Amino acid sequence: MQARNPLHATDIHMPVTKQKWQFDGVVRLTRIGTAFVIFTVVIGFAAINTGNNSLYIGLSLMLGSLLLSGIASKDGLKQLAVEFDGVDDVWAMRPAHGRLRIRNRSRLWNVRDVIVTADELATPICISLINRGEEIIAHAMFSFRRRGLTRLTRVDLYTRYPFGFFLKKRRPRLAGDVIVFPRLLGDDIPRDRFRATEGELQSTNRIGGGTDIHSFRDYVRGDSLRRVHWKKSASLGRWIIKQTEIETGRSVHIVVDPYRPPHVSEESFEEMISEAATFLDDALKSGLEVAFSIPHVTLGSDRDGAVSMFRALALLESTREPVAQTVDRDSVIFTVAPSVGDRASGVGA
Amino acid sequence: MNRRFELELLFLAIFAAVPLYATQAISAPPLLAFHAVMTAVAARVAFGKSPEVIPAAVMRVFAIVYVPFYIIDAAAISRSAIAASTHLILFIAAYQAIESAKTRNTAQRLLTASLICTAGVATSTHIAILPFIVFFGFLLLRQLMHLSHEETIAMTGTLIAEPPSGRAASFYVIGALAIGTCLFPFMPRIRNPLLPGMTGPLSNATTGLSDSINLNETRSISSDATVVSRVWMGQETIPFFTPLRLKGTIYERFANNTWIQGRRDFIPLDGSDGTTRVARPEGFTRKAGVQQRFLIGSRLFLPVGSFEVSGAGQLAEGPTRDIFTVWSSHRDTIAYDVALARDTAPRRPQNVTVSDYPVTPAVRAMARQIAGSETDPMRQAGAVEAYLSQRFRYVADPSQIGRTMTVDQFLLHEHRGHCEYFAAGMVALMTALNVPARIVGGFYGGTLNPLTGYFVIRREDAHAWVEVWEGNSWQTFDPTPASLRPGNAHEGLLRVYAAAVADSINYFWDRHILTYGLGDQLALAVSLLESLRAASAAMTASLHTTALRRFMSLLAMLVVAGFVIVMMARRRRSLFDLLASHLHRLGIDVGPSMTTAEALHELRISHPTAAADLAPLIAMYEAERFSGKVERGRVRRIRQRLAGLSES
Repeated sequence: MQARNPLHATDIHMPVTKQKWQFDGVVRLTRIGTAFVIFTVVIGFAAINTGNNSLYIGLSLMLGSLLLSGIASKDGLKQLAVEFDGVDDVWAMRPAHGRLRIRNRSRLWNVRDVIVTADELATPICISLINRGEEIIAHAMFSFRRRGLTRLTRVDLYTRYPFGFFLKKRRPRLAGDVIVFPRLLGDDIPRDRFRATEGELQSTNRIGGGTDIHSFRDYVRGDSLRRVHWKKSASLGRWIIKQTEIETGRSVHIVVDPYRPPHVSEESFEEMISEAATFLDDALKSGLEVAFSIPHVTLGSDRDGAVSMFRALALLESTREPVAQTVDRDSVIFTVAPSVGDRASGVGA
Repeated sequence: MNRRFELELLFLAIFAAVPLYATQAISAPPLLAFHAVMTAVAARVAFGKSPEVIPAAVMRVFAIVYVPFYIIDAAAISRSAIAASTHLILFIAAYQAIESAKTRNTAQRLLTASLICTAGVATSTHIAILPFIVFFGFLLLRQLMHLSHEETIAMTGTLIAEPPSGRAASFYVIGALAIGTCLFPFMPRIRNPLLPGMTGPLSNATTGLSDSINLNETRSISSDATVVSRVWMGQETIPFFTPLRLKGTIYERFANNTWIQGRRDFIPLDGSDGTTRVARPEGFTRKAGVQQRFLIGSRLFLPVGSFEVSGAGQLAEGPTRDIFTVWSSHRDTIAYDVALARDTAPRRPQNVTVSDYPVTPAVRAMARQIAGSETDPMRQAGAVEAYLSQRFRYVADPSQIGRTMTVDQFLLHEHRGHCEYFAAGMVALMTALNVPARIVGGFYGGTLNPLTGYFVIRREDAHAWVEVWEGNSWQTFDPTPASLRPGNAHEGLLRVYAAAVADSINYFWDRHILTYGLGDQLALAVSLLESLRAASAAMTASLHTTALRRFMSLLAMLVVAGFVIVMMARRRRSLFDLLASHLHRLGIDVGPSMTTAEALHELRISHPTAAADLAPLIAMYEAERFSGKVERGRVRRIRQRLAGLSES
């Protein structure tokens, strides 16, 4: 049995990616817009001073352009409906490919040069053109700071279209839930990697992906036909599935303890989760069979898949009271709880 | 920058300067130089070379030198701050085009092109400026869209293809025109008196009317279709006041073989309610409307017979008697109404004398021969008029004669000439008969526009005739043969109608655009108010019927109900928010990383009964949200049941 405490608590916040041109509010006059407004005022002054109707014509058109620019950009953005269209596997602090479905509901305005930003977007998306009544799918890189269930509630749409006089902003509502897997530590972070020892396979008397038969059970929908024990099935008259034992050396049992004592910071807890996720990821990448335990739940990589384990880890909340968990001698325990000596000896063993 | 857009930007500046040739706000050489440089820059860019047609360093030296040159230009060369400033803007445009090789200055260049365009527009009064503005607007908006796209790329650092902008620019030009057309009538037409004369109409107009009739110089007449005036006369007026004569100037003194105007100071005339009396009417009266372009200062070309002028503002008599001028006007065109009388007399008694033409014995003898035994001045004038128009030959183009001649030579030897000779000859003969007479310069005849019902008088209708003093008033005589006077050339029907259509467009431009002012705004406001009042009265009258009143009440209620429903729908909260709100009331805070199922789990611990009630709703919500299976009415049922739970 080994226990793993976080080595150090690092800053889990991503660097601030807010661009210089982003702003709070609805509209901002650009430099060229300012020049145009000043020019309009000058022409207006000249027109009023002289009563020259040719200047009034120019002034009317300039005011018309300003007004139209404001209406077009405001209404154009207003008519854009943004929907979250899914994202691939998401890890905290790591870009993930996702999609936004953007529809231009307007019957009048084509919208061009729209920039989409959001706290969850790794970089702003720039959309060249959305014709009226048209829907496009924008591919984007998402980046989330924290693991867990994240609700995408809003995006910011910016545009300078049509004439660049104003930088208009709109914040449409967005509905989308994303389960963000814990942050995986980079290679630069020193950590113990699980290494399988070939040729030292031992039976563990636990169900797993080994070769020795552990027990039998009835077939349930979803079981692989390759695991049907045909002889027993024939004798009993119903389908029987053989369950094999997990093998050490090709298997690992990971236990994550959600107990967070009062003096341990949230950051340390998150760091421990990241360690666990990294360890889990390394184990799976090494082709090992993994059994993963959190209170009340044990998942196996062969039965439940890797995603369900990361999902469980993503949604794991810290508890204020210790929770009893069954651990083996070889279980790898991740905990922030006080341990015996420097290395934790496990909880509930 | 995209080469196509770079070329378009260069063309924009070149195009912006084109109207300056027509308006002659500045002389041609600087314009030609500007266009030569810009065309050379455009040619280099088109062939993929740098725009530095002149090395940028040299241009910078030019720019430094130009600062003192600007003052010299304004003070000594063009002698006009406006012209010097226009030269400066053209220089800046060329400088920026060359400098663009090193500096990205698209926005500045667009501003400079707009300034050049403004210089052209401000000095133009012709309708041709309108398509120019539209095309310039199209190019400008397209450039702005391109610039906006480039700025967007710079903001995000991502390179995205630029969508085609031609149709979009057309769309926005039409939109801007539509909005501009709506705004134009409502722009404040209050002229700021603080800076008078900063800009104003630049009229380089020439006219058939001149300050003097110099018979020492060869006269030439060229056809000029520029409209001078439009006169509306009703059917009851036309028979008595046509052919039209617009009086422009009076020559009553003779010196050195030249007829000149009688000098006098400008005398302001009193008016009331915007109406000024310029003569005393005699006989029946009629009304007419006039729209006139100013050709000589702000002088009015009043139809003969005018005795009252309305809507022209403060008038003054001058620069000679019986000629009237608007006291202060900065416009090119004016519209006013006149009252016409069959006969008119001067406002005040005039000291009228015989002209100072040096009558020779031969001319005196000729005059006596023509007058015969007549002693009445009017009869004598009639005889002279008839004699000249019947015995003398009218030459439309004075250059046909090939030399200058005196009035005596015209009367005694040549017997041919143009209208000024006929008029001068008659005045000479009347002087010989000791009858006061004077030459009147103005416009004659005009063409009736069958589409709009007004007479169009053009510059080519310039004419001279004679007024003879009757003892109480001046009477008009015209010794030029009637069939040969201006406006009597016969044209085909098609040509007449084509000219009428063109003139109608011009009229609309002149009347409703160029001369649109505060008075028109007030008239428009009154008209709108009256229309509103009439519509309101009509509605009130129609509402007296009970059925209609009920219908309108029902309609109003439906509108209000619809509005309330829309507002409520807008405020509708999402299912998740409603569930979270309900859970919050039960003491469960749904955090950002908590699912509804987890919240339900917590609720089961704290409020098992409430959890049992809420469980099916949460299951329905999860199915609605995540299953992807659409079930009609599910959302409504969840909301209803949730509302029921909240109430209980």
